[in-house]
Amino acid sequence: MTGEALGFLMLGGLLLGLLAGFPIAFTLLAVALLFGYMGLGPRVFDLMTLQIFSVMRETVLAAVPLFVFMATVLERARLIERFFLGFLALAGSIRGSLYFAVMVTAILFAAATGIVGASVTLLGVMAGPLMLRAGYDVRLSAGIITAGGTLGILIPPSVMLVVMGPVVGVPVTQLFAGAIVPGLLLGGLYLGYAMLRCFLDPSRGPAIQQANSEAGKGKAVAELMLGSLPVVGLIFGTLGTILLGIATPTDAAALGAFASVLFGIVTRRLDWSGFREAMGKTLEVSSMILFLVAASNFFGAVFGALGSSRLLTQLLLESGLPAMGLVVLAMAVIFLLAWPLEWVPIVVIFLPVLVPVVAKMGMDLLWFSVAVAVNLQTAWLSPPVALSAYFLKGVMPEWSLKDIYLGMLQFMMLQLLGLVAVVAFPDLVLWLPRVLQR
Amino acid sequence: MLERVLRVLEGAIEAVGQVVAWFVVGLTIALTYEALARLLFVAPTVWAYDVTYMLYGAHFMLGAAYTLRRGGHVRTDFLYERLPEVWQRRVDTICYLLFYFGPVLALLWFGSGFALEAWRRAERAITSPWMPVIYPFKTVIPVAAILLLVQGLVEFVRNLGLAGR
Repeated sequence: MTGEALGFLMLGGLLLGLLAGFPIAFTLLAVALLFGYMGLGPRVFDLMTLQIFSVMRETVLAAVPLFVFMATVLERARLIERFFLGFLALAGSIRGSLYFAVMVTAILFAAATGIVGASVTLLGVMAGPLMLRAGYDVRLSAGIITAGGTLGILIPPSVMLVVMGPVVGVPVTQLFAGAIVPGLLLGGLYLGYAMLRCFLDPSRGPAIQQANSEAGKGKAVAELMLGSLPVVGLIFGTLGTILLGIATPTDAAALGAFASVLFGIVTRRLDWSGFREAMGKTLEVSSMILFLVAASNFFGAVFGALGSSRLLTQLLLESGLPAMGLVVLAMAVIFLLAWPLEWVPIVVIFLPVLVPVVAKMGMDLLWFSVAVAVNLQTAWLSPPVALSAYFLKGVMPEWSLKDIYLGMLQFMMLQLLGLVAVVAFPDLVLWLPRVLQR
Repeated sequence: MLERVLRVLEGAIEAVGQVVAWFVVGLTIALTYEALARLLFVAPTVWAYDVTYMLYGAHFMLGAAYTLRRGGHVRTDFLYERLPEVWQRRVDTICYLLFYFGPVLALLWFGSGFALEAWRRAERAITSPWMPVIYPFKTVIPVAAILLLVQGLVEFVRNLGLAGR
């Protein structure tokens, strides 16, 4: 059997192995060792060690534990709570104001941190009970919390984009710059949709009764200012320094993590046990992501050494498919894969297979990568295997899982709309990086 | 007796995890110091680059066993989670034999060779002017493999049903 065919067999073997539900990282290593040994002989063992070691030395990826640490600390320090409540006190008497408050808070939190679990849980804890009490539409509420919360994975700084950078060979800084406009676009779509539904049927988001004295308003403004200062500071300190080219994403992540711990200590919301919890959670999450990155780096190296990736590129190039057709096909495949899989395996296993083809066709890799990122955001909103649903259910047990699902589905449709826009108008992605490079 | 052995082993993995978890704090402090030194005092350190990958690489590799213990390694669980618990255990038992011990043992054996070679030559990193010794960092690979082997055996025995979960 030729090496190339062996490689495709390996991909098939992997898919079968994945179905068994065993931790993906080890399945990857085992399948790559087996097929690699058949095709390459004993040098596959040294290849494994070297590939894992090369991931261990990738300083770009050091941003992953730092961003995770920053987010877990901020989650415990309830950074955004004050801002949210101040905003609400000011605008609560307006119809549908909670949708507005959730979305603005979500975007700000997403721009300050880079992981999903933290945002959904946080928004659920803050807004869920208020929405319930005010008689908000359950599905729309659950939808906007999960959709807004998942923006954290797209709006930079984002752990997903950090992992994607080395895989596609685009600087993380450029990916960050490219993802901002699409992220805001999605946020705008979510908010517009919720407000429209609320406008058409006011019972979906009734105004919150509250005392509206002048003194109360002044206090609310003060709260809002005090609440937003640290958030804006963090966003400038991390995202700002990265985009201006002052700090690398890894340095900025460290500064952000440092500032977050300080913030937690100063506001007295981060105690010793919370700090240790955050460290443990950080180890668990980043080890999961990065060990998988290391394993699939080896898998990809075997796939490449067998010659399969070259053959696949060649086959796809000779298929006569137009470039745009190929992109649409790739997006459809990723969308389907995102149903059962999480973003990590898709980014580290399947994306490297597609990248050479996209590059050969002369398409812009930055644009393609950000489109994939927008696409993968659906992975968080696709029931029944969407983690964000469980995060939300965990903090809002009063809402039924069915309602949460139905709410998420509506926002998933909006996300698809956003994906179509990004694919159709590459300038949505490419404009900001171009401006920043000047 | 068996239960006690398993507890001791798990306790060890947990303890290693508690220590390794601190690496991210070290990383934060080192890079913050470096960034401030570079931005404010225009005096970059020589060690920041090497310390970064060493702490980061050791953090996730040595934490892999801890993550396994916490059930943190991502699975494709849309079929798995529908299985009754007895079957989940059976599937896991078979998968440990098929997918787990092979790679971990290979990593232990070949990772040890990789690290030993570096020890023997007293190898230094040549990527930075600081040129730190690289063999302790390379030793992380076989140590991570040992930790994974230990925690994998614990999981395997528990899945066999010889001891409680």
